[in-house]
Amino acid sequence: MPINTAAADTSNGLLLSAVIIYAIAMLCYAFDFAFAKHRVLAGVHEPTGVAVPELVGASVGVPATIVGGSRPPAGMTAGQAVSRWPSGFWLRLAFALTCVGVAVHVTAIVTRGIAEDRVPWGNMYEFIAAFTCMAVLVFVAASIWYRAYYMGVFVLVPIVFGLGVDLTVLYTPAGSLVPALQSYWIAIHVTAMIVAIGLFIFGAVVTTLYLIADRSQRRVATGKPSWSAGIMRHLPGALILDRLAYRSILFGFPVWTFGVIAGAIWADHAWGRYWGLDPKETWSFITWVVYAMFLHARATAGWRGRRAGWIQLAGFVCLLFNVIGVNLFITGLHSYAGM
Amino acid sequence: MTAAEEDSTASPAAAAAGLSRATRFGAVGWLRWAWRQLTSMRTALILLFLLALASVPGSVLPQEGIDPAAVTQYYQSHPALAPVLNRLSLFSVFAAPWFAAIYILLFASLAGCVLPRTIRLVGSARQRPPRAPSNLARLPATASYTTDLTPGTALQSAAQLLGQRRFRLHTGDGWVSAEKGYLREVGNLLFHLALLALLFSVALGGIFGYKANRLLIVGQGFANTPTDLDVFRPGRLVGPGSLQPFSINLQNFHAQYVASGPEIDQPLSYNAGLNYQTRPGAPVRHYTLRVNHPLVVDGASVYLIGHGYAPVVKVTDGTGTVRWDGPVPFIPVDQSTMTSEGVIKVPDAKPAQLGFAGVFLPSAVNAGGTLESAFPSALNPRLSLIGFSGNLGMNSGQAQSVYQLDTQGLHQLRMVASPLAAGQSMTLPNGLGTVTYLGYQQWISLAITYDPGQLPALVSGFAALAGLILSFLVRRRRVFVRAAAAADGRTEVTLGGLARSDAAGGFEGEFTELAQMLRAQQAGTFGAGPKASQDPPGDAVEAETARAGADRHEVALTGPDGE
Repeated sequence: MPINTAAADTSNGLLLSAVIIYAIAMLCYAFDFAFAKHRVLAGVHEPTGVAVPELVGASVGVPATIVGGSRPPAGMTAGQAVSRWPSGFWLRLAFALTCVGVAVHVTAIVTRGIAEDRVPWGNMYEFIAAFTCMAVLVFVAASIWYRAYYMGVFVLVPIVFGLGVDLTVLYTPAGSLVPALQSYWIAIHVTAMIVAIGLFIFGAVVTTLYLIADRSQRRVATGKPSWSAGIMRHLPGALILDRLAYRSILFGFPVWTFGVIAGAIWADHAWGRYWGLDPKETWSFITWVVYAMFLHARATAGWRGRRAGWIQLAGFVCLLFNVIGVNLFITGLHSYAGM
Repeated sequence: MTAAEEDSTASPAAAAAGLSRATRFGAVGWLRWAWRQLTSMRTALILLFLLALASVPGSVLPQEGIDPAAVTQYYQSHPALAPVLNRLSLFSVFAAPWFAAIYILLFASLAGCVLPRTIRLVGSARQRPPRAPSNLARLPATASYTTDLTPGTALQSAAQLLGQRRFRLHTGDGWVSAEKGYLREVGNLLFHLALLALLFSVALGGIFGYKANRLLIVGQGFANTPTDLDVFRPGRLVGPGSLQPFSINLQNFHAQYVASGPEIDQPLSYNAGLNYQTRPGAPVRHYTLRVNHPLVVDGASVYLIGHGYAPVVKVTDGTGTVRWDGPVPFIPVDQSTMTSEGVIKVPDAKPAQLGFAGVFLPSAVNAGGTLESAFPSALNPRLSLIGFSGNLGMNSGQAQSVYQLDTQGLHQLRMVASPLAAGQSMTLPNGLGTVTYLGYQQWISLAITYDPGQLPALVSGFAALAGLILSFLVRRRRVFVRAAAAADGRTEVTLGGLARSDAAGGFEGEFTELAQMLRAQQAGTFGAGPKASQDPPGDAVEAETARAGADRHEVALTGPDGE
């Protein structure tokens, strides 16, 4: 199948545009932190002292706006609810730019797929473009559901960096797939991995902030100086961050599990064994085990909180090594990343 | 696995009794202690960590079971280190005793935790929720309101609402307790049991399955018997008779490559035309074997895993007798240009044994005086040979690779090494004979696998996934209602809620909704519905302000989660 070069060029232009839009959005989130104090947290903390007419006296540990699940909690629907949309000029602009950026990003991926007449995740360049897109989509969804707008700058910094490296160092021109990848399983296995990685990236960013917030809270509580207290004013408490991170892993882990199973089925179709301890397989297993450790730690007294947070970050390091390190340093059956 | 911890901390008296028994029955006591330790969550966490850690060298160092050639190479480049690593089983990590120790302990820990919980779950299938605690205000989620209903009627309607919402009920004097979400434990156990089943499936494949390899030149065929296979790795209980009796004949092979642009040399497709019979005497059928499209015969699968060129060579010795006439498989050393290397051994040649080391260039071009291959297809095939004569060493009794020439007993023949085109010959010096390059054939390598554990593994994998999703989606929670006559003659209804496993949150929303519905329903009985909400605070809601939020929430979280 010949490559549609016009569409491929369009895709390159769109991806570059997406990075630029993300970078501007990132600055706007930072401006919001700097100029519009606390606005970023609108709706995240329960407005204390406000009469919530229909809310039966449910005393809950966490502000109701966060714990209410995907729906706005009862108090929010009745009357002077805090909007699920961002407030303040800079935050609105930043979020609008993020949405435009992610739309352009998605379009870039779609046009790449049209150019190549296949799913556009056949090499490292395309794979990174896809999972960074997923990470931003997760952030947008988390913002709308859980008002996680405060995460904007922290999510976009690694995304802009990752896409920058992707466009410069890892760029691969549009092309066809090697026979080993010519299977409908690429659409199933790699897509699942992209979704899971997007969720894990978001989880890791939130957990990093959680660990900083937790440390800051403990230092402030014991009267010690905390360098991060200034930033922490713009972030919700450690508990909310911890829950947000946990939710993304809770969602990501089954998707990753499915991706590993789908990969095993594909490996069986392509290589004649469902599990052969190829480096990529080994590292996806290691990643799975470490995230499983995180989930178990979350359910064990004495391990939840900080320790679990560190385990989750260790899982993310394994994930990064699997995505990047294994392709760069180790030869195996998955060595078709165009490196 | 918290269940075990819960047990050990549940009753100090029981623990003390266990201790005194332990002092009396030392061995039993120690065993009990060891079993508790093994099945505790902390141990499981440590074992999980060790499992992940132990897998790392398996991905970094070359592995015997995956790439034996790389291990040999490692021995050559690290002569001092390699034997040490070998002693530590680091070249076969996943078959190492210490690796087995970790996963056997982990699965013992898993079984020791999951099986008792399964029994307990079956037992609790008909168990009623516990009595409502006397002080519901101490629970993580609480609500209260007053109503004109009598305590009995209020409780009855509360029980009805909770029953409609499929809570399991237990009623008593002045209280109702309700519990829901048993499926969470079901999902959790399904996940862990499926992992055990997965391990057994893998073992099943290792015992009753087999793996084999066969190199096949176009025009040749083979039967699926141990003697006719190049590599045969049977499972422990596989005999020669348990192989599926099919036979395969390779009719043709076509490889297609990108011919221009930045991706030049990249393969586009491999197609191998096979004729096969499922058993001797069965009708001959045709199949086009491709990557990702294995041929399945009686549960065994045949995969296309490699390909290459086999130059057809004719060697005539000094006496004028043709000693070799046929294709010789060469191994590709560069996948992008398919430059291939191989050897031809002619032990029967007279007056001296002959050996040749050859390089095959499928698309030879002149690059600054030397020939090299520019493209993987055979557009301009050339064969370059270096001749040797002397002792091939094939009578020494030692196994030899057909792809390597042991030059120890050989001396190189002095001749002009000009690459041969098809049909060209080269005369060997000293009257040793001639060698003719006639053309080339292509070969493919096939992997044949039979794994009866495959389907059970697949089912286990998806069962684990289903259990995982179930245990993440369902939360186990209890709701308690107490109703008592208040001083003003009305009835005070108190609700308390507790999520036993709600680490991701969401119970508070449900509890609030329940409390609202109940209040609306019971006030509505007297037609006071709309009025009630405008009538603070006595009639309507005693909004409890959030008290010491975070630590109270921890109470809910630390409840037995059963993970």
